[in-house]
Amino acid sequence: MSEFVERAVSVPAETAAGRRPIGLLLVAIPVFLVIWLVIWPAINAISRTIWRTDADGNSSFDLSSYAFFFSDRYSLDNLAITLWTTLVCAVLLLVICLPIALYLRFSHGRLPAYVQALAILPMFVPSIILAFAFIRVLGPNGMVDILLNAVGLPKIRTPYLTPWGPVIGLVWDNIPLTVLILLSGLGSVANQSIEAARDVGANTLRVFWHIILPRISNSILVALSFSVLGIFSSFTLPYLLGPASPEMLGPFMQRTLRDVQDPIGAMTQAVVAFGFCILFGLFYVRSVAKNRGK
Amino acid sequence: MKRRTFMMSAAGAAAGLALAPRMSFAAKGQIDWYTSSDTNILDFWTNIVKPAFEAANPGLKLNLVDAGDGAGIIAIGERAIAAKQTNADPQADFFESADALLPAGAIKAGVYTNIKAAGLSNYSKVNPLAIESEYSLPYRGSQVLLAYDTTKLKPADAPKTWDALVTWIKANPGQFVYNRPDKGGSGGNFVRRAIHQANGLDPKAFKVDNYTPEFGEEALGKAWKLLADIAPHLYDKGAYSSGNTQSLQLLSQGVVTMIPVWSDQVLQAIEQGVLPAETGLVQLQDLALCGGFTRSVVIENGANREASLKLADFMLSEEMQSAILTELGGFPGVSWDHVSEDLRKKFADIIPKTIPTFPGGKWEAAINDGWYRHVAPNVDRKS
Repeated sequence: MSEFVERAVSVPAETAAGRRPIGLLLVAIPVFLVIWLVIWPAINAISRTIWRTDADGNSSFDLSSYAFFFSDRYSLDNLAITLWTTLVCAVLLLVICLPIALYLRFSHGRLPAYVQALAILPMFVPSIILAFAFIRVLGPNGMVDILLNAVGLPKIRTPYLTPWGPVIGLVWDNIPLTVLILLSGLGSVANQSIEAARDVGANTLRVFWHIILPRISNSILVALSFSVLGIFSSFTLPYLLGPASPEMLGPFMQRTLRDVQDPIGAMTQAVVAFGFCILFGLFYVRSVAKNRGK
Repeated sequence: MKRRTFMMSAAGAAAGLALAPRMSFAAKGQIDWYTSSDTNILDFWTNIVKPAFEAANPGLKLNLVDAGDGAGIIAIGERAIAAKQTNADPQADFFESADALLPAGAIKAGVYTNIKAAGLSNYSKVNPLAIESEYSLPYRGSQVLLAYDTTKLKPADAPKTWDALVTWIKANPGQFVYNRPDKGGSGGNFVRRAIHQANGLDPKAFKVDNYTPEFGEEALGKAWKLLADIAPHLYDKGAYSSGNTQSLQLLSQGVVTMIPVWSDQVLQAIEQGVLPAETGLVQLQDLALCGGFTRSVVIENGANREASLKLADFMLSEEMQSAILTELGGFPGVSWDHVSEDLRKKFADIIPKTIPTFPGGKWEAAINDGWYRHVAPNVDRKS
């Protein structure tokens, strides 16, 4: 990501001005798609949940569906488990991916290439396959239990159908994106500055804390806001691996719409989810803007 | 960097291909067929019905499409209504499983074909008990049973009434699991059996049009108490699998001893070795678990209406009705007199005398919402 930025900044000013119409044209398609597929439905959902038609056909301003959501213990529990899952996943992702990214950045040879391929692998595994593999391995009487049993150890407390099920699945699923973004951030840490710090006697921890971390804090923010957005609205893994209740907002919305046949309720949940995602998105936009401003 | 760039762009290109819109137009002679049933039904159509039908009717082809669930079929039904109004092609000819009353107004709009009046040569063979509407064709049935592991529970000791089942569940904590009622009919009909139990074992008390919030609260509330009472004794102190297949998986991995199952799904699972031959089946004798017939619908304004009616007639033929018994493990939509003698003898124990049913519509939404609110969360599973 930072590479892109550097390249864009280094383009001489006159050529950049000359290419502007083409640039606008290129960006028009994604902007149009975003307006059509995201912004318009979002506005539509917001307006249909606050401006509602009653039984007599009169439409009026009405916040009752939101009042219900925020006073309903069941909905709030679902919101809480969604936030909990997102937070736990974000922390675990950072703890797992930062060491992998550091290792990949500062080591050479064939082994890191294999490690990188392994770290990217989850990107190519569809989450539905991941979910059923998870059940076979970590589920009750699954492979782990069989292996433990073979060496005379007790069975594990399986995370299947508990809140930890989706956490494990989602973390595994999000490792590639997080590693890639952190890795590109680490690209901006110059070897010279680390060597210089080593020369004046800084140990590994100090190098990490004072030299590396300040340079990649931006990437960490970007990586986390990306994965957090995906995790917050995830569906397949929480649906297949999580408990029936509390459920994450993704399965909750789908169920409210199709099985409870309550479109207004589902849209209200969607708007609430959208509100939280905007908050996470702001972090991302802010950090990109800060980066551009440099 | 290069390898990474390549991988990223390859992934992007693959995603782009998958997302590219796929255009399709109804072709003459190709019946666009949709189902909301499980994979075993789609497999049955792909492997048995499609080759037999296409061989018997040269020039006709079946395009089998999975619509996902009941709501998916309703959405396509709504599309057919919209197409009728604009005289467009609905791109749908045949629903394998549908409710003729849904989407509301489909019959009035003239989108569903009146099967009774369509002059099918085999229509007189249909089991009269199964006919619900002139606009749908019951061609197969199945019922929910209890499947159990005979190595852990002797057939003689298998519970045969609801009370015996509850006693057994409480005496064997963690050995029973049912799936979330909206995620598959086996758990759904187990929950409906609890509703029957709580309301005097009278399936006739519930009709598609007698739901009121007050009656619903009262009738369902009693059932939620029954289910919440057994919840701490279920698998993992009150966990619920997320579908019919996931329940079968827990039984096959030896995690639980007993689950509610669809008769067709469990017979097929035993046949294919997914479940061991030591799997026992039992039906409650005080009132059976619910089941029902699957009804097909022909789209009146579909491009292949005549061919679809041919398909409907074909499904009632002895060849297909026998295949439903032998290959699918379901039971036939035609009366048992129209099933061959030896098959009738072989399947005597699953021929149901009555099949209790439970209405859909508003009841369904109330059950789906109520169960999640009152039964699913009630348990402290942290211990």
